Amino acid sequence: MRATKSIARTFTLIVSVCTVLIFSVAIGSFYHRSRVALEQEVANNAAHLVLASINRVETTLHAIGKVAEDTSRSLEIAGYHDQSLTTLLKETLLDNRDIHGFGAAFDLNPAFNPPHPVVPYYFRQGERLVFAPEGNFQHLSQDWYQIPKELGQMAWSEPSFDKASGTILMTSCSVPIFSDNGREKQVRGVVVADVSLEWLTELVASIRVLDTGYSFLLSRNGTFLTHPDRDLIMNETIFSLAESRHKPDLREIGRKMVLGESGFVAYTNIHDVSTLMYYAPVPSTGWTLAVVFPEAELYADVRNLTLVVAGIALAGILLLTAAVYWVARRVTAPLGALAEATEAIASGHFDTELPAVKSSDEVGKLTLAFTAMTGALKKYIRNLTETTAAKERIQSELKMATDIQASLLPQLFPAFPDRPEFDIHAAMDPAKEVGGDFYDFFFIDPTNLCFLMADVADKGVPAALYMMVAKILLKTEGQRLGEPEQILSRVNEILAADNDSCMFTTVFCAILNTENGEVRFANAGHNAPVLISGGQANFLSIRAGFVLGPIAETVYTAERITLEPGDVLFLYTDGITEAKSRSEELYGEERLLQTLQAASRQELAEMIRTVRAEVFRHADGAPQSDDVTMLAIKYRGMAARNP
Amino acid sequence: MDIQIAKEEKTHILTLSGKLDGVTAPVYEQQVMALLEADPCSLIIDFASLDYISSAGLRALLATAKRIKLKGAQFHCANVTGTVREIFDISGFSSILRMHDSVAGALAAIG
Repeated sequence: MRATKSIARTFTLIVSVCTVLIFSVAIGSFYHRSRVALEQEVANNAAHLVLASINRVETTLHAIGKVAEDTSRSLEIAGYHDQSLTTLLKETLLDNRDIHGFGAAFDLNPAFNPPHPVVPYYFRQGERLVFAPEGNFQHLSQDWYQIPKELGQMAWSEPSFDKASGTILMTSCSVPIFSDNGREKQVRGVVVADVSLEWLTELVASIRVLDTGYSFLLSRNGTFLTHPDRDLIMNETIFSLAESRHKPDLREIGRKMVLGESGFVAYTNIHDVSTLMYYAPVPSTGWTLAVVFPEAELYADVRNLTLVVAGIALAGILLLTAAVYWVARRVTAPLGALAEATEAIASGHFDTELPAVKSSDEVGKLTLAFTAMTGALKKYIRNLTETTAAKERIQSELKMATDIQASLLPQLFPAFPDRPEFDIHAAMDPAKEVGGDFYDFFFIDPTNLCFLMADVADKGVPAALYMMVAKILLKTEGQRLGEPEQILSRVNEILAADNDSCMFTTVFCAILNTENGEVRFANAGHNAPVLISGGQANFLSIRAGFVLGPIAETVYTAERITLEPGDVLFLYTDGITEAKSRSEELYGEERLLQTLQAASRQELAEMIRTVRAEVFRHADGAPQSDDVTMLAIKYRGMAARNP
Repeated sequence: MDIQIAKEEKTHILTLSGKLDGVTAPVYEQQVMALLEADPCSLIIDFASLDYISSAGLRALLATAKRIKLKGAQFHCANVTGTVREIFDISGFSSILRMHDSVAGALAAIG
């Protein structure tokens, strides 16, 4: 069931992750685009709002400027005496409720005929108008008088608190009065209209955006004229605020405001809240009106909407995940059941029932395939069992053949304990596959010892059978004929008859005369033996002779050497010289000579053990394809017999 | 082992390469017997590329040589050198089989 869970889980996980990714991108994009659209909308609205408000302010200021201008023109055209001047001022103030105080101020130069008082001035106190002329000529040095006089045009003064109460914020509109004496126009005085900015404060405070948005008004040089925070009014400029709160971007905005620019900017306000602001100048006075809205509140609706959409999406994804998991489980359940059954089959229970095939889908096909496979497996294993049994029987029979083969060879040493004039020793290690090496030795008569080494071609049962025949023939004919070349010729004739398959054996056949050490030998294609004499090991130089068996009438030649007491003749098969190491390197004739030479002083049994050990050390466990067979004979001489 | 068979005039020329041992000898024997059955004529075996021959290989060679002789044709060996030559010498095969230094020499001997 683990596999089932795993597929279902993986599938569900992938679907869920993909869905979450898609929704995330979609909602994120929606949120971003909404914000951009909203920002555009707000910027437009704010611009309209600010420009409309500025229009209202401008209209009022313009009307006041017009009153002052009209009065100034009247004073230029008509000659007013003191009484009519004050009446004009009073009437005008009475007619214009927006104006707080109204007056005129004249140059003291007698050429301009200054009136008395030289600064007639009325101001409102409740419903009454109070006449408060100034007589100490301070006006001559004050901005509201100086600036329009010098510029020769209307000027609005920097707002300031009124002198009487010190609580009403005032600004003055001053218009120069010209005197034209025919040669040049000169300024003989100034008409001044003082305006309370209370109405402006109310107007600006009424411009509100959203719940916590607000607006403020800055003077020409950046001083706060109106602001929800009353402490700022006339106490701080936008620059002093930027300086004390370390807000360089605020200073930059202030610079643009003072330059009379307009714009929509985002910045972090003095309370470190992300804020948007639209600002625009009031043209006639050079003030700046700004509307501020906190970003959080601006985007609150978008954020709420996005959260609702995200919530719906999340619920949807959860539902989808559950549905996908359910479907995946349903689809993979038969697969799980099949997996469970096949696990049992895998552990060897071939009779396990596979789940019934209900559908023709992939799982159904898989189940059918498994059923077929289980059947085939069962059949195969039955066959394998039978084959194995048969093979084991053959193997055991081959093993028996090998054992019988080995038992045919003389293995009891010392073989002739009562013949001290010579020593003989031999050994055979059969290869894994039954082979055809053999050796033999027997007395022909009390003096002559026949010994031989043979190697039947190929391996297996045919070689083993051929070896039996060859061995028996060699012994019987050997005992009968007594000369090596005759023995080989005779056995060859017998073997060559009806030998269509051309089986053959190589034989080195020799006869030792135990009385004088003379060895007569003939060779039928076998490896040359090694003669160890005087501590030196050398291959015996012999005629090759053709192998025994395939061709009748083959002629073999007798050769002879005489062994001195102590000499050893070493016979072997190519299983020794062709023994392979793990790296396929042959043991070789050189190594054999060296080993024999090193072991030349050893007794025969030990010498044979040494050679065997060396060959096996060389092979280092690599499987050998050939039997390892050797025979050594040492002549001691008759002196050993009669000490 | 790889066997390449060519024919020149009335003689098969077989080029053996690799090893002719207990595993490959039956393959060789089967192929040559089939060849002789289909087209009985003289045979030259080129040993130049053969690295090794075992007693089983020698037996297979003899068997094919005998078959050719029965058909009244000739069996010749060419380019028997190195390890294979040593085995031929030790077993006396080089004195029984007709040996040549080249395929051309063998062809000339067949006539």
